[in-house]
Amino acid sequence: MLKDYIFKILKENIIEILPEMPEEKIRLEESLRELGANSVDRMDIVVKTMEAIGIKISMVETAQAANIGELVDLFYEKKRLAG
Amino acid sequence: MNSGGRVVVTGMGVFSSIGKSVEEYGQSLRAGQSGIGFYKGAMDTGISVSVGAWTGDISYETLVTGYSLPGDLAQKAKQCARRSPFALQATALSAMEAWKGAMLYDCQIPSDRLGIIIAGHNLTQCFQYGLLNKFKQNPEYLTPSYALHYMDTDYLGTLSEIFGIQGEGFTAGGSSASGNVGIIKGLQIIRLGTVDACMVVGPLTDLSPMDLQGFYNIGAMGGRRFKDNPEKACRPFDREHEGFIYGQAGGCLILESMESAAKRGVPILAELLGGALVLDGNRLSNPSAEGEARAMEYSLKQAGVESGQVDYLNAHGSSSPLGDETEVAAIKKVFKKSLPRMWINSGKSMTGHCLCAAGVVEAVATIIQIREGFVHPNLNLDNPIDNECRFNDGTAKEADIEMAMSNSFGFGGINTSIIFKKVVP
Repeated sequence: MLKDYIFKILKENIIEILPEMPEEKIRLEESLRELGANSVDRMDIVVKTMEAIGIKISMVETAQAANIGELVDLFYEKKRLAG
Repeated sequence: MNSGGRVVVTGMGVFSSIGKSVEEYGQSLRAGQSGIGFYKGAMDTGISVSVGAWTGDISYETLVTGYSLPGDLAQKAKQCARRSPFALQATALSAMEAWKGAMLYDCQIPSDRLGIIIAGHNLTQCFQYGLLNKFKQNPEYLTPSYALHYMDTDYLGTLSEIFGIQGEGFTAGGSSASGNVGIIKGLQIIRLGTVDACMVVGPLTDLSPMDLQGFYNIGAMGGRRFKDNPEKACRPFDREHEGFIYGQAGGCLILESMESAAKRGVPILAELLGGALVLDGNRLSNPSAEGEARAMEYSLKQAGVESGQVDYLNAHGSSSPLGDETEVAAIKKVFKKSLPRMWINSGKSMTGHCLCAAGVVEAVATIIQIREGFVHPNLNLDNPIDNECRFNDGTAKEADIEMAMSNSFGFGGINTSIIFKKVVP
Protein backbone atom coordinates (compact mmCIF):
# COMPACT_ATOMS: atom_id res chain seq x y z
CA MET A 1 0.00 0.00 0.00
CA LEU A 2 1.49 3.29 -1.09
CA LYS A 3 1.87 6.33 1.12
CA ASP A 4 -0.04 8.34 -1.47
CA TYR A 5 -2.98 6.02 -1.09
CA ILE A 6 -2.90 6.31 2.70
CA PHE A 7 -2.77 10.10 2.42
CA LYS A 8 -5.74 10.01 0.05
CA ILE A 9 -7.81 7.97 2.53
CA LEU A 10 -6.81 10.25 5.39
CA LYS A 11 -7.74 13.30 3.35
CA GLU A 12 -11.16 11.84 2.53
CA ASN A 13 -11.83 11.20 6.20
CA ILE A 14 -10.72 14.70 7.20
CA ILE A 15 -13.13 16.17 4.67
CA GLU A 16 -15.93 13.90 5.81
CA ILE A 17 -15.51 15.02 9.41
CA LEU A 18 -14.67 18.65 8.61
CA PRO A 19 -16.72 19.34 5.45
CA GLU A 20 -15.77 23.02 5.33
CA MET A 21 -12.10 22.13 4.93
CA PRO A 22 -10.76 23.08 1.49
CA GLU A 23 -8.92 20.07 0.12
CA GLU A 24 -5.86 22.09 -0.85
CA LYS A 25 -5.29 23.05 2.80
CA ILE A 26 -4.75 19.43 3.79
CA ARG A 27 -1.00 19.10 3.34
CA LEU A 28 1.54 16.72 4.86
CA GLU A 29 3.22 19.44 6.91
CA GLU A 30 -0.04 20.59 8.52
CA SER A 31 -1.30 19.16 11.79
CA LEU A 32 -4.92 18.15 12.27
CA ARG A 33 -5.10 20.50 15.23
CA GLU A 34 -3.93 23.47 13.16
CA LEU A 35 -6.52 22.60 10.53
CA GLY A 36 -9.20 23.11 13.17
CA ALA A 37 -9.97 19.53 14.19
CA ASN A 38 -10.85 19.30 17.87
CA SER A 39 -9.60 16.38 19.98
CA VAL A 40 -12.65 14.20 19.29
CA ASP A 41 -12.58 15.01 15.55
CA ARG A 42 -8.91 14.01 15.47
CA MET A 43 -9.58 10.67 17.11
CA ASP A 44 -12.54 9.98 14.84
CA ILE A 45 -10.41 10.76 11.77
CA VAL A 46 -7.60 8.48 12.97
CA VAL A 47 -9.85 5.54 13.84
CA LYS A 48 -11.79 5.84 10.59
CA THR A 49 -8.55 5.80 8.63
CA MET A 50 -7.16 2.83 10.58
CA GLU A 51 -10.32 0.93 9.76
CA ALA A 52 -10.14 1.78 6.07
CA ILE A 53 -6.52 0.68 5.85
CA GLY A 54 -6.98 -2.35 8.06
CA ILE A 55 -4.53 -1.61 10.85
CA LYS A 56 -4.82 -1.21 14.62
CA ILE A 57 -2.63 1.25 16.48
CA SER A 58 -3.01 2.55 19.98
CA MET A 59 -4.15 6.14 20.42
CA VAL A 60 -0.98 6.79 22.45
CA GLU A 61 1.13 6.07 19.37
CA THR A 62 -0.98 8.10 16.94
CA ALA A 63 -1.01 11.06 19.32
CA GLN A 64 2.78 11.31 18.90
CA ALA A 65 2.52 12.16 15.23
CA ALA A 66 3.24 15.90 14.99
CA ASN A 67 1.62 16.42 11.60
CA ILE A 68 -0.31 14.68 8.85
CA GLY A 69 2.90 13.51 7.19
CA GLU A 70 4.05 11.73 10.35
CA LEU A 71 0.62 10.15 10.69
CA VAL A 72 0.85 8.84 7.13
CA ASP A 73 4.33 7.47 7.86
CA LEU A 74 3.07 5.74 10.99
CA PHE A 75 0.13 4.16 9.18
CA TYR A 76 2.40 3.14 6.31
CA GLU A 77 4.90 1.51 8.65
CA LYS A 78 2.20 -0.42 10.53
CA LYS A 79 0.64 -1.61 7.31
CA ARG A 80 4.01 -2.71 5.99
CA LEU A 81 4.83 -4.67 9.15
CA ALA A 82 1.39 -6.28 9.11
CA GLY A 83 2.11 -7.42 5.59
CA MET B 1 -50.02 28.40 46.05
CA ASN B 2 -48.82 30.07 42.88
CA SER B 3 -45.67 31.49 44.38
CA GLY B 4 -42.55 32.87 42.79
CA GLY B 5 -43.99 34.77 39.88
CA ARG B 6 -45.70 34.04 36.61
CA VAL B 7 -44.16 31.80 33.98
CA VAL B 8 -45.14 31.89 30.33
CA VAL B 9 -44.34 30.07 27.10
CA THR B 10 -42.61 32.24 24.52
CA GLY B 11 -41.43 29.63 22.02
CA MET B 12 -42.44 26.21 20.72
CA GLY B 13 -40.99 23.73 18.30
CA VAL B 14 -41.87 20.26 17.13
CA PHE B 15 -40.45 17.68 14.76
CA SER B 16 -42.84 14.75 14.45
CA SER B 17 -44.32 12.17 12.12
CA ILE B 18 -47.31 14.45 11.47
CA GLY B 19 -45.54 17.77 11.17
CA LYS B 20 -41.99 19.04 10.99
CA SER B 21 -42.97 22.45 12.37
CA VAL B 22 -45.57 23.82 14.79
CA GLU B 23 -47.65 25.06 11.87
CA GLU B 24 -47.66 21.70 10.05
CA TYR B 25 -48.25 19.83 13.30
CA GLY B 26 -51.23 22.08 14.13
CA GLN B 27 -52.74 21.48 10.70
CA SER B 28 -52.33 17.72 11.04
CA LEU B 29 -53.85 17.75 14.52
CA ARG B 30 -56.86 19.64 13.23
CA ALA B 31 -57.22 17.34 10.22
CA GLY B 32 -56.82 14.17 12.27
CA GLN B 33 -53.81 13.07 10.26
CA SER B 34 -52.33 9.83 11.57
CA GLY B 35 -48.56 9.41 11.44
CA ILE B 36 -48.77 5.74 12.28
CA GLY B 37 -47.62 3.32 9.60
CA PHE B 38 -45.59 0.20 9.06
CA TYR B 39 -42.28 -0.28 10.86
CA LYS B 40 -39.62 1.39 8.80
CA GLY B 41 -36.62 0.39 10.89
CA ALA B 42 -34.01 -0.99 8.57
CA MET B 43 -32.71 -3.51 11.08
CA ASP B 44 -34.24 -6.62 12.54
CA THR B 45 -37.58 -6.54 10.84
CA GLY B 46 -38.19 -9.92 12.37
CA ILE B 47 -39.38 -8.38 15.65
CA SER B 48 -43.01 -8.64 16.70
CA VAL B 49 -43.60 -4.89 16.42
CA SER B 50 -44.81 -3.92 12.96
CA VAL B 51 -46.43 -0.49 13.39
CA GLY B 52 -45.36 2.87 14.71
CA ALA B 53 -45.04 6.55 13.82
CA TRP B 54 -41.62 7.27 12.38
CA THR B 55 -40.33 10.66 11.31
CA GLY B 56 -38.44 9.16 8.36
CA ASP B 57 -34.88 9.90 7.31
CA ILE B 58 -33.75 13.45 7.67
CA SER B 59 -31.19 15.57 5.94
CA TYR B 60 -30.07 17.60 8.92
CA GLU B 61 -28.01 20.30 7.25
CA THR B 62 -30.63 20.97 4.59
CA LEU B 63 -33.31 21.24 7.27
CA VAL B 64 -31.20 23.63 9.38
CA THR B 65 -30.91 25.90 6.34
CA GLY B 66 -34.71 25.86 6.08
CA TYR B 67 -35.12 27.56 9.47
CA SER B 68 -33.50 30.76 8.14
CA LEU B 69 -31.61 31.27 11.38
CA PRO B 70 -29.11 34.10 11.64
CA GLY B 71 -25.91 33.03 9.83
CA ASP B 72 -23.66 32.28 12.76
CA LEU B 73 -26.35 30.29 14.60
CA ALA B 74 -27.13 28.18 11.53
CA GLN B 75 -23.44 27.54 11.02
CA LYS B 76 -22.98 26.53 14.64
CA ALA B 77 -26.05 24.27 14.51
CA LYS B 78 -24.58 22.48 11.51
CA GLN B 79 -21.10 22.16 12.96
CA CYS B 80 -22.20 20.94 16.38
CA ALA B 81 -24.68 18.27 15.31
CA ARG B 82 -23.86 17.22 11.77
CA ARG B 83 -22.43 13.93 13.02
CA SER B 84 -24.81 13.48 15.94
CA PRO B 85 -27.22 10.56 16.10
CA PHE B 86 -30.44 11.11 14.16
CA ALA B 87 -32.49 11.45 17.37
CA LEU B 88 -30.43 14.39 18.57
CA GLN B 89 -30.59 16.06 15.16
CA ALA B 90 -34.38 15.82 15.00
CA THR B 91 -34.62 17.18 18.53
CA ALA B 92 -32.21 20.02 17.75
CA LEU B 93 -34.43 21.05 14.84
CA SER B 94 -37.42 21.41 17.16
CA ALA B 95 -35.25 23.47 19.51
CA MET B 96 -34.24 25.79 16.65
CA GLU B 97 -37.88 26.45 15.83
CA ALA B 98 -38.66 27.26 19.47
CA TRP B 99 -35.58 29.47 19.83
CA LYS B 100 -36.48 31.39 16.71
CA GLY B 101 -40.12 31.72 17.76
CA ALA B 102 -39.07 33.14 21.13
CA MET B 103 -36.83 35.63 19.29
CA LEU B 104 -33.96 34.69 21.54
CA TYR B 105 -31.42 35.39 18.82
CA ASP B 106 -31.95 39.11 18.83
CA CYS B 107 -33.74 39.84 22.12
CA GLN B 108 -30.91 38.67 24.27
CA ILE B 109 -31.11 37.26 27.75
CA PRO B 110 -27.66 36.98 29.38
CA SER B 111 -26.33 33.50 28.65
CA ASP B 112 -25.97 32.65 32.34
CA ARG B 113 -29.64 33.51 32.90
CA LEU B 114 -30.69 30.88 30.34
CA GLY B 115 -31.30 27.31 31.43
CA ILE B 116 -31.87 24.06 29.57
CA ILE B 117 -33.54 20.82 30.60
CA ILE B 118 -33.35 17.64 28.56
CA ALA B 119 -36.50 15.84 29.58
CA GLY B 120 -35.68 12.18 29.16
CA HIS B 121 -33.25 9.32 29.38
CA ASN B 122 -31.98 6.37 27.31
CA LEU B 123 -32.40 8.53 24.25
CA THR B 124 -30.07 7.05 21.65
CA GLN B 125 -30.66 3.36 22.13
CA CYS B 126 -31.03 2.66 18.43
CA PHE B 127 -27.72 4.40 17.71
CA GLN B 128 -25.96 2.08 20.15
CA TYR B 129 -27.77 -0.97 18.88
CA GLY B 130 -26.75 -0.11 15.33
CA LEU B 131 -23.06 -0.20 16.27
CA LEU B 132 -23.16 -3.44 18.17
CA ASN B 133 -22.31 -5.94 15.43
CA LYS B 134 -19.39 -3.90 14.15
CA PHE B 135 -18.19 -3.44 17.71
CA LYS B 136 -18.19 -7.15 18.37
CA GLN B 137 -15.99 -7.73 15.31
CA ASN B 138 -13.48 -4.95 15.95
CA PRO B 139 -13.81 -3.01 19.20
CA GLU B 140 -10.80 -0.89 18.21
CA TYR B 141 -12.72 0.64 15.32
CA LEU B 142 -15.52 1.99 17.50
CA THR B 143 -15.83 5.66 16.60
CA PRO B 144 -14.25 7.56 19.52
CA SER B 145 -17.07 10.13 19.60
CA TYR B 146 -19.37 7.27 20.61
CA ALA B 147 -18.28 8.03 24.18
CA LEU B 148 -20.04 11.39 23.90
CA HIS B 149 -23.03 10.31 21.84
CA TYR B 150 -24.21 7.40 23.95
CA MET B 151 -24.82 9.64 26.96
CA ASP B 152 -28.04 11.64 27.24
CA THR B 153 -25.93 14.60 28.29
CA ASP B 154 -24.86 14.79 24.63
CA TYR B 155 -28.19 16.56 24.07
CA LEU B 156 -27.35 18.98 26.86
CA GLY B 157 -23.83 19.70 25.63
CA THR B 158 -24.76 20.02 21.99
CA LEU B 159 -27.84 22.20 22.41
CA SER B 160 -26.23 24.44 25.03
CA GLU B 161 -23.28 24.97 22.67
CA ILE B 162 -25.50 25.77 19.69
CA PHE B 163 -27.61 28.28 21.63
CA GLY B 164 -24.94 29.56 24.01
CA ILE B 165 -26.83 28.54 27.14
CA GLN B 166 -24.69 28.88 30.27
CA GLY B 167 -27.10 28.86 33.20
CA GLU B 168 -28.47 25.78 34.93
CA GLY B 169 -28.88 22.67 32.80
CA PHE B 170 -29.49 18.97 33.35
CA THR B 171 -31.31 15.89 32.15
CA ALA B 172 -34.55 15.09 33.96
CA GLY B 173 -36.01 11.65 33.52
CA GLY B 174 -39.41 10.21 34.26
CA SER B 175 -40.02 7.48 31.66
CA SER B 176 -43.16 8.36 29.66
CA ALA B 177 -43.78 11.32 31.95
CA SER B 178 -40.33 12.83 31.28
CA GLY B 179 -41.65 15.70 29.15
CA ASN B 180 -43.88 16.93 31.93
CA VAL B 181 -41.14 16.36 34.50
CA GLY B 182 -38.92 18.69 32.44
CA ILE B 183 -41.65 21.31 32.14
CA ILE B 184 -42.29 21.20 35.90
CA LYS B 185 -38.56 21.51 36.68
CA GLY B 186 -38.28 24.39 34.21
CA LEU B 187 -41.16 26.16 35.92
CA GLN B 188 -39.47 25.65 39.27
CA ILE B 189 -36.03 26.97 38.31
CA ILE B 190 -37.62 30.08 36.82
CA ARG B 191 -39.73 30.62 39.94
CA LEU B 192 -36.68 30.09 42.11
CA GLY B 193 -35.00 32.88 40.19
CA THR B 194 -32.16 30.62 39.03
CA VAL B 195 -32.78 31.53 35.38
CA ASP B 196 -34.96 33.99 33.45
CA ALA B 197 -35.82 31.52 30.69
CA CYS B 198 -35.44 27.81 30.23
CA MET B 199 -35.39 25.67 27.12
CA VAL B 200 -37.31 22.50 27.93
CA VAL B 201 -36.45 19.84 25.41
CA GLY B 202 -38.62 16.78 24.76
CA PRO B 203 -36.06 14.56 23.11
CA LEU B 204 -36.91 12.12 20.36
CA THR B 205 -36.65 8.73 22.03
CA ASP B 206 -35.02 6.45 19.49
CA LEU B 207 -35.90 2.94 20.59
CA SER B 208 -33.85 0.03 19.33
CA PRO B 209 -35.55 -3.10 17.98
CA MET B 210 -34.64 -4.72 21.29
CA ASP B 211 -36.47 -2.03 23.27
CA LEU B 212 -39.51 -2.31 21.02
CA GLN B 213 -39.58 -6.06 21.50
CA GLY B 214 -39.15 -5.57 25.25
CA PHE B 215 -42.20 -3.32 25.42
CA TYR B 216 -44.05 -5.89 23.33
CA ASN B 217 -43.01 -8.80 25.51
CA ILE B 218 -44.00 -7.04 28.72
CA GLY B 219 -47.46 -6.62 27.18
CA ALA B 220 -47.41 -2.82 26.94
CA MET B 221 -47.46 -2.50 23.18
CA GLY B 222 -50.41 -2.78 20.83
CA GLY B 223 -50.59 -3.16 17.07
CA ARG B 224 -51.61 -6.80 16.91
CA ARG B 225 -55.26 -6.78 15.89
CA PHE B 226 -54.77 -3.88 13.46
CA LYS B 227 -51.33 -4.83 12.20
CA ASP B 228 -52.48 -4.65 8.58
CA ASN B 229 -54.18 -1.33 9.17
CA PRO B 230 -51.65 0.72 11.16
CA GLU B 231 -53.63 3.96 11.38
CA LYS B 232 -56.30 2.04 13.31
CA ALA B 233 -53.84 0.58 15.81
CA CYS B 234 -53.73 3.44 18.30
CA ARG B 235 -57.18 3.78 19.88
CA PRO B 236 -57.08 5.70 23.14
CA PHE B 237 -60.20 5.12 25.25
CA ASP B 238 -61.76 2.77 22.68
CA ARG B 239 -62.91 -0.70 23.71
CA GLU B 240 -60.54 -2.27 21.19
CA HIS B 241 -57.42 -0.55 22.54
CA GLU B 242 -54.65 -3.04 23.14
CA GLY B 243 -51.47 -1.19 24.07
CA PHE B 244 -49.39 1.81 23.09
CA ILE B 245 -47.97 2.42 19.63
CA TYR B 246 -44.46 3.83 19.46
CA GLY B 247 -44.02 7.27 17.96
CA GLN B 248 -41.02 9.43 17.16
CA ALA B 249 -41.00 13.15 17.81
CA GLY B 250 -38.87 15.83 19.32
CA GLY B 251 -40.39 18.93 20.87
CA CYS B 252 -39.28 22.06 22.65
CA LEU B 253 -40.81 24.79 24.79
CA ILE B 254 -39.19 28.03 25.83
CA LEU B 255 -40.45 28.84 29.32
CA GLU B 256 -39.78 32.34 30.57
CA SER B 257 -40.64 34.54 33.49
CA MET B 258 -43.45 36.94 32.66
CA GLU B 259 -41.14 39.75 33.70
CA SER B 260 -38.45 38.75 31.20
CA ALA B 261 -40.94 38.18 28.38
CA ALA B 262 -42.52 41.59 29.02
CA LYS B 263 -39.12 43.25 29.12
CA ARG B 264 -38.17 41.68 25.79
CA GLY B 265 -41.58 42.49 24.32
CA VAL B 266 -42.01 39.04 22.78
CA PRO B 267 -45.39 37.41 22.06
CA ILE B 268 -46.68 35.18 24.85
CA LEU B 269 -48.17 31.90 23.68
CA ALA B 270 -49.71 30.71 26.96
CA GLU B 271 -49.18 30.85 30.68
CA LEU B 272 -47.94 27.82 32.58
CA LEU B 273 -49.89 28.00 35.82
CA GLY B 274 -48.53 24.98 37.62
CA GLY B 275 -47.65 21.36 37.60
CA ALA B 276 -47.31 18.41 39.92
CA LEU B 277 -45.15 15.31 39.98
CA VAL B 278 -46.02 12.53 42.42
CA LEU B 279 -44.98 8.91 42.76
CA ASP B 280 -46.91 5.76 43.52
CA GLY B 281 -43.94 4.04 45.18
CA ASN B 282 -44.14 1.28 42.58
CA ARG B 283 -41.34 -0.10 40.42
CA LEU B 284 -43.65 -1.89 38.01
CA SER B 285 -45.53 -0.77 34.90
CA ASN B 286 -49.05 -0.74 36.34
CA PRO B 287 -50.67 2.67 36.85
CA SER B 288 -52.62 3.87 39.87
CA ALA B 289 -55.83 5.90 39.74
CA GLU B 290 -55.08 7.26 43.19
CA GLY B 291 -51.63 8.48 42.09
CA GLU B 292 -52.92 9.97 38.85
CA ALA B 293 -55.75 11.75 40.65
CA ARG B 294 -53.28 13.09 43.19
CA ALA B 295 -51.10 14.56 40.39
CA MET B 296 -54.14 16.26 38.85
CA GLU B 297 -55.40 17.55 42.20
CA TYR B 298 -51.98 18.87 43.25
CA SER B 299 -51.49 20.62 39.94
CA LEU B 300 -54.88 22.31 40.28
CA LYS B 301 -54.03 23.37 43.81
CA GLN B 302 -50.63 24.64 42.77
CA ALA B 303 -52.15 26.59 39.90
CA GLY B 304 -54.87 28.01 42.13
CA VAL B 305 -57.54 26.62 39.81
CA GLU B 306 -60.82 24.83 40.59
CA SER B 307 -61.45 21.59 38.71
CA GLY B 308 -64.57 23.13 37.17
CA GLN B 309 -62.45 25.80 35.46
CA VAL B 310 -60.61 23.29 33.27
CA ASP B 311 -62.12 23.36 29.78
CA TYR B 312 -59.93 20.77 28.16
CA LEU B 313 -57.83 17.80 29.24
CA ASN B 314 -55.04 16.53 27.04
CA ALA B 315 -55.04 13.00 28.41
CA HIS B 316 -52.10 10.66 28.71
CA GLY B 317 -54.38 8.25 26.78
CA SER B 318 -51.79 5.82 25.51
CA SER B 319 -54.29 3.24 24.16
CA SER B 320 -53.26 0.78 26.84
CA PRO B 321 -56.37 -0.98 28.23
CA LEU B 322 -55.33 -0.76 31.88
CA GLY B 323 -53.78 2.69 31.38
CA ASP B 324 -56.88 4.18 29.75
CA GLU B 325 -59.25 2.68 32.31
CA THR B 326 -57.10 3.87 35.19
CA GLU B 327 -56.89 7.40 33.78
CA VAL B 328 -60.67 7.53 33.28
CA ALA B 329 -61.18 6.49 36.91
CA ALA B 330 -58.76 9.21 38.04
CA ILE B 331 -60.37 11.86 35.80
CA LYS B 332 -63.82 10.98 37.15
CA LYS B 333 -62.57 11.34 40.70
CA VAL B 334 -61.05 14.78 40.09
CA PHE B 335 -63.59 16.26 37.66
CA LYS B 336 -66.84 14.85 39.02
CA LYS B 337 -68.97 17.88 38.24
CA SER B 338 -67.41 19.09 35.03
CA LEU B 339 -67.27 15.79 33.15
CA PRO B 340 -70.10 16.72 30.78
CA ARG B 341 -68.42 19.92 29.63
CA MET B 342 -64.67 19.26 29.80
CA TRP B 343 -63.26 18.10 26.46
CA ILE B 344 -60.83 15.16 26.53
CA ASN B 345 -58.63 13.83 23.73
CA SER B 346 -55.31 12.09 23.19
CA GLY B 347 -52.89 13.12 20.47
CA LYS B 348 -51.24 9.73 20.72
CA SER B 349 -53.96 8.47 18.38
CA MET B 350 -52.08 10.43 15.68
CA THR B 351 -48.46 10.71 16.80
CA GLY B 352 -48.15 7.41 18.63
CA HIS B 353 -46.56 7.49 22.06
CA CYS B 354 -43.47 9.67 21.83
CA LEU B 355 -42.28 8.40 25.25
CA CYS B 356 -39.84 10.88 26.80
CA ALA B 357 -40.91 13.62 24.40
CA ALA B 358 -44.64 13.00 24.85
CA GLY B 359 -45.21 15.59 27.57
CA VAL B 360 -43.54 18.36 25.57
CA VAL B 361 -45.04 17.39 22.22
CA GLU B 362 -48.49 17.25 23.83
CA ALA B 363 -47.93 20.56 25.63
CA VAL B 364 -47.31 22.07 22.19
CA ALA B 365 -50.57 20.49 20.99
CA THR B 366 -52.41 21.82 24.04
CA ILE B 367 -51.15 25.36 23.44
CA ILE B 368 -52.03 25.20 19.73
CA GLN B 369 -55.59 24.19 20.66
CA ILE B 370 -55.88 26.93 23.30
CA ARG B 371 -54.67 29.56 20.85
CA GLU B 372 -56.66 28.40 17.84
CA GLY B 373 -59.84 27.48 19.73
CA PHE B 374 -60.39 23.87 18.81
CA VAL B 375 -60.00 20.35 20.17
CA HIS B 376 -58.25 17.90 17.92
CA PRO B 377 -59.71 14.50 17.06
CA ASN B 378 -59.21 11.41 19.16
CA LEU B 379 -58.91 8.92 16.33
CA ASN B 380 -60.42 5.45 16.34
CA LEU B 381 -62.79 6.06 19.21
CA ASP B 382 -65.56 3.83 17.89
CA ASN B 383 -66.84 2.50 21.21
CA PRO B 384 -65.70 4.60 24.18
CA ILE B 385 -64.86 2.74 27.38
CA ASP B 386 -66.82 5.38 29.29
CA ASN B 387 -69.89 7.38 28.43
CA GLU B 388 -69.64 10.10 31.04
CA CYS B 389 -66.37 11.63 29.87
CA ARG B 390 -66.64 14.05 26.95
CA PHE B 391 -64.10 12.41 24.63
CA ASN B 392 -63.76 14.05 21.28
CA ASP B 393 -64.44 11.78 18.30
CA GLY B 394 -62.68 11.57 14.96
CA THR B 395 -63.16 15.19 13.90
CA ALA B 396 -61.89 18.49 15.29
CA LYS B 397 -64.41 20.69 17.15
CA GLU B 398 -64.38 24.41 17.72
CA ALA B 399 -63.86 25.03 21.44
CA ASP B 400 -63.09 28.04 23.58
CA ILE B 401 -60.33 26.85 25.88
CA GLU B 402 -59.39 29.18 28.71
CA MET B 403 -57.75 26.57 30.91
CA ALA B 404 -56.20 23.23 29.92
CA MET B 405 -54.55 20.36 31.73
CA SER B 406 -52.10 17.89 30.23
CA ASN B 407 -51.32 14.53 31.80
CA SER B 408 -48.31 12.26 31.43
CA PHE B 409 -47.78 9.06 33.36
CA GLY B 410 -44.81 6.72 33.30
CA PHE B 411 -43.64 3.28 34.30
CA GLY B 412 -42.27 3.20 37.81
CA GLY B 413 -45.33 4.91 39.27
CA ILE B 414 -44.58 8.39 37.92
CA ASN B 415 -47.59 10.72 37.67
CA THR B 416 -47.51 14.25 36.30
CA SER B 417 -50.01 16.89 35.41
CA ILE B 418 -49.53 20.46 34.18
CA ILE B 419 -51.90 23.37 33.61
CA PHE B 420 -51.85 26.02 30.89
CA LYS B 421 -53.96 29.15 30.65
CA LYS B 422 -54.88 31.17 27.62
CA VAL B 423 -53.19 34.55 27.37
CA VAL B 424 -55.07 37.23 25.50
CA PRO B 425 -52.65 39.51 23.69
